[in-house]
Amino acid sequence: MKNLLPRLSGTQPKAGCLLLGAYFWAGAAIAAPQDQALQMHSRLTGVIPTESILLDMAEDIANGDPQAAAYTAMQNDAFYNVTLKNLATPWTNRDRDVFAPLNDYTATVIGMVRDDVDFREVLSGNILYTGDVSGLPAYSNSDNDHYEALEAGGHSLKDSLVQRSQSSVTGLPAEATAGVITTRGAAKSFFIAGTNRAMFRFTLVNHLCRDMEQVQDTSRAPDRIRQDVSRSPGGDSRVFQNNCIGCHSGMDPMAQAFAYYDFAYDADNDPEGENGALDYNSTGESDPATGSRVKAKNHINSANFPHGFILPDDRWDNYWREGPNMHLGWSSALPGSGNGAKSLGEELANSRAFAECQVTKVFRQVCLREPENTADRTRIDAIADDFSNSGYKLKQVYADAAVYCAGD
Amino acid sequence: MTNRKIPGSFFSSVAALLPVAPCGTRRESIPGGLSARSLSQTVPQGATGIRTFASRSAFRSTGSSFGLILAAAILSACSGGSGQDTEEQPNTNPGSGGASYSGPAPETEDVQQYKRYIWDNLAAENRCGGCHVENNQSPQFVRGDDINIAYDAGRELVNLSQPAESRLVTKVGGGHNCWLSSADACAEIITNYIEEWARASGSLANTITLTAPVERTVGASKSFPAASGSFGSTVYPLLSTYCAGCHSEDAGTAQQPYFASANVDQAYEAAKARMNLDNPADSRFSVRLGSEFHNCWDDCAENEDEMTAAIQAFADSIPLTEVDPNWVISKALLLTDGIVASSGGRVENNAIALYEFKTGSGTTAFDTSGVNPAIDLTLSGDVEWLGSWGIQLKGGKAQGATATSRKLHETLTATGEYTIEAWVAPANVSQEGPARIVSYSGGNDIRNFTLGQAMYNYTFQNRSDSTDADGMPALITDDMAERAQATLQHVVATYDPIGGRKLYVNGEFTGDADPAAAELLSTWDDTFALVLGSEVSNDNKWEGSVRLLAIHSRALSAEDIATNYEVGVGEKYLLLFKVEEQTNVPQSYVMFTVQQFDNYGYLFSEPTFVSLDGSAAPTGIAIEGMRIGINGREAEVGQAWANLSATIDGSYVPGEGQPLSRLGTIITLDKGPEYDEFFLTFERLGSETYTRVEPVPAVPADPADLEPQPRIGLRRFEQIHAALSRATGISSAHPDIVDTWEKVKRQLPVESDILGFLAAQQMGITQLAVKYCSTLVDSPARGSYFPGFDFGAPIADAFNSPAKRAQVVDPLIKNLLGHEMTWHDSSVSQLAVAPDLAAVETELNDLIDTMENCSGSACNGRTATTVKAVCAAAMGSAMILIH
Repeated sequence: MKNLLPRLSGTQPKAGCLLLGAYFWAGAAIAAPQDQALQMHSRLTGVIPTESILLDMAEDIANGDPQAAAYTAMQNDAFYNVTLKNLATPWTNRDRDVFAPLNDYTATVIGMVRDDVDFREVLSGNILYTGDVSGLPAYSNSDNDHYEALEAGGHSLKDSLVQRSQSSVTGLPAEATAGVITTRGAAKSFFIAGTNRAMFRFTLVNHLCRDMEQVQDTSRAPDRIRQDVSRSPGGDSRVFQNNCIGCHSGMDPMAQAFAYYDFAYDADNDPEGENGALDYNSTGESDPATGSRVKAKNHINSANFPHGFILPDDRWDNYWREGPNMHLGWSSALPGSGNGAKSLGEELANSRAFAECQVTKVFRQVCLREPENTADRTRIDAIADDFSNSGYKLKQVYADAAVYCAGD
Repeated sequence: MTNRKIPGSFFSSVAALLPVAPCGTRRESIPGGLSARSLSQTVPQGATGIRTFASRSAFRSTGSSFGLILAAAILSACSGGSGQDTEEQPNTNPGSGGASYSGPAPETEDVQQYKRYIWDNLAAENRCGGCHVENNQSPQFVRGDDINIAYDAGRELVNLSQPAESRLVTKVGGGHNCWLSSADACAEIITNYIEEWARASGSLANTITLTAPVERTVGASKSFPAASGSFGSTVYPLLSTYCAGCHSEDAGTAQQPYFASANVDQAYEAAKARMNLDNPADSRFSVRLGSEFHNCWDDCAENEDEMTAAIQAFADSIPLTEVDPNWVISKALLLTDGIVASSGGRVENNAIALYEFKTGSGTTAFDTSGVNPAIDLTLSGDVEWLGSWGIQLKGGKAQGATATSRKLHETLTATGEYTIEAWVAPANVSQEGPARIVSYSGGNDIRNFTLGQAMYNYTFQNRSDSTDADGMPALITDDMAERAQATLQHVVATYDPIGGRKLYVNGEFTGDADPAAAELLSTWDDTFALVLGSEVSNDNKWEGSVRLLAIHSRALSAEDIATNYEVGVGEKYLLLFKVEEQTNVPQSYVMFTVQQFDNYGYLFSEPTFVSLDGSAAPTGIAIEGMRIGINGREAEVGQAWANLSATIDGSYVPGEGQPLSRLGTIITLDKGPEYDEFFLTFERLGSETYTRVEPVPAVPADPADLEPQPRIGLRRFEQIHAALSRATGISSAHPDIVDTWEKVKRQLPVESDILGFLAAQQMGITQLAVKYCSTLVDSPARGSYFPGFDFGAPIADAFNSPAKRAQVVDPLIKNLLGHEMTWHDSSVSQLAVAPDLAAVETELNDLIDTMENCSGSACNGRTATTVKAVCAAAMGSAMILIH
């Protein structure tokens, strides 16, 4: 049986197309399969399908299998070269610049989605995607040439990305790898200078959809807040007690997971770190300033509050498992503490907030709007359930969201 | 030490400037580098004919003029050239009513010290000499007839091991005839005199004897009820009416804390920490409105009153509750029950101006160095006293008179070296200018010295032979080091004619080199004034707190600076919370070092378990989950030892105890340092336990529904790029395309929101569409894209039939899926969203008509151009832009 849905297109008023001007859609209460197909394809890939693909998708939809239609659309290169790249690119830099060049962070997200890799691995896996195209400069720990050449060449990311183990490519010990967190792209943006808290904050923003304001909780114990945080900013301890502590009491004990990481670069001659590289203190290595594996940056400005916490190692604890942030939905199967970025990445990625965040981001991208009512929120919940119950495949989320919005 | 090397050359050059007096006269010069006081006791007379005296004593005697110093010195008696040390100094007391001593010589070393540090400083008529002298009021401790009798009367008024506890100090501090407007300032000055004596005699106690404090039982207080109760009808209505625009999870710009949540219970949980049941007016909610003017809905003062009244109404509805009987608690203490952990031990032998800002009120910050003339500072503009000792400058300044400030010129040009030492907390790291922290200057461009801040840097200008009158070039800390932070910092600037300028932050030399050569201070001007917080002109304001300022007449060594940094600033107390009941260890306490941190909080640090019973050897006592209680309840914020898990074990040292943690935390000040009552609670202390169950917070409410949003949106920048590539068949990596793409990509829509569409974006799309079409038409691919169309035909022939036109128009429509298609059910139609075919064809044909309208050479190449135009018109349309 084809065309189960009523064909309305023939009876719908058609707005004239004003060339070089705005054109307004004549929305259909229930769109015809081919119209749904066009919308799904266009939203999933950004491009108009060929006639044959459109027909194929319309037929799937008419046959009650809109998921298949969505998967057909996701065969298009543009799903990878445009949609997924645009999804991940703003995550890779502090300014959330959508024009930032392709890098190992972006490529790894794209590759993982293509291969239906459990998306939780994005924050913990020993995984990296590189381009398999002849003539590209080799992957380098100290520049981004490989990916920029891959992007400039206009190659299909669907066809040219290959999965590799991060440790085999970058030399980082396997236990120190933590998905995109330990890519060069992320390190250049979030391990550069500072105190590595940026890595925590931006991971939270990009993968749990929460900035620090949304997770403030002043009732947690401040015992892990480091010495560099002034307890009386500008001479007023209220600022600390009412604001700073709300974020730092939870953030500092988790950001401690990054104690052994740094981004090494020449601050004088290469302030942006274009030729910098991720630097990790492996077992046996010691930072001269701290006398331990902890990078010196974690002990800076120690005179700001000498009674603050001094990082001895990379032990992290999730204080937000209690208090208002328990509603981020932490996994009861995990202990809520550990050592290093990998286990922290698992802690974050196994939260309900992670799953809902990924779904919400895809929803925005495919539906071109925010979830606005109970129906939308319920649907996002259901898609997040599907996502977490069936192997965290992000393509499935795209398909589910595209199907939902195709009827818009 | 650099300055120790000076005397040979530098000092003699200073001495050479002074007239050499014949034997029998007394002459003072200022020692360079060496401790002036020690010299006054150790340099033998006669070797050079020049007798050296303490610089501080010199200024006590003479007021503001160096000439007067000499005059006073010459007038005084000589001990006869015997070569014997002498302590008989000229009358060094204030210019008016100065007392001189002519009685019998001191019989002992101690009497000699008494005279030097007490009598000389206090015997003037305008101090204690007006009354406490022979034939007058008892005790006659400054009598002038016999220093030995004066000593007998005065010695018991002095406590060398605890100078601040001396009767002399407490009496004057208590309001007894202070010669200044502030009794505290007089007390501080006398304390400093006694401390000097104590330091010189080695009597200053460096160890603190722990004694048992008073025992207080934790008092009853109002506590927040578990349920929101009347909160919902008192405070909540204000919050939900006026604060829900932000402080609610369903707000457009949702911002924690959600005390205006749609869910009253949730709002109550978030609001608790912001309401003060004992002092509603001190509630964070009220202060935020009244003092910080945070989003008042009307008049801030009225709003504050309204809020305070609401909190009062809520507080009134809550009965006084006893402390949770299940808690495991220590005994209670007030801050003042603590043992003063002396902040002594500072190196300030050569402090010629000293500000500890202990006064706490009024408009004068007293110079308590004891070196006359005192450069008392007048506070003007927005300056606030800090309860923790200090002033907060918020645009105001503290300035001394030029007459008294001259003391700096006189002393420092003579020593040729100096130190500016300050405990400061910059309000921010954005002020620059440099913003003047401490300045001895005459205007915006003329100064003797200035310690300033320029964003993350400290700056130090000093006028010398090698700089201009503005002290430029300035010494500036390295940008990358970001030395200046908006927190309490110990900042020291030293200058000496060998090492030049140096800056130390938090006890550490910054390593920055002086850009100018080290020279003498001979170009200094004596008409300038000492000022804090801005230039004397009120320009270049610096905002922040100054907790202590000392100007030393020598360049402090790195060791001395480190010492002063370690001593810290402000008064510290040791609070001993008794835990004997639970631990069964006699006289056992958990001891904290506590100090008022600023006007809003206390610093609790370094908890230590200790028994005052020296024979106690406690072991195996578990201490877990320790929290600080204040006024009957646990502090809401700052429980740094909530996760503590310690056991008293073999590392316990009798008499010293066992440290439980090196951490410190801030506990918010509640009723004030005189009233706040502290105690400790434990989840486990010895054998007693309290099982804390943290309530499960309410589940966040669903966000509110949004206004319905458009169901269509714009293609975003890269989608347009890819869509054009797909529709024209030209690779987006084609060099010509890349060139245009790089130019226009930031002009294209970044967001899909159709309501954000701009005309400029359409221009970008058009440019890109033209480039794609142009590349297509100029490429061999045009043959297959526009099958049958003759690009070689002249314009007049190329489009002269509907069929020819269709060869161009139809492929474009088809690639944009605007044409009619045969669907899987064999029906034939356009897509619902496709534009009306006839209308599009009409538009494109009109365009071709327009393009055909040419003559002569203008028609050359017009055929291809027309195809490009038609293509660009189709490709740059809403069919690409919108989806």
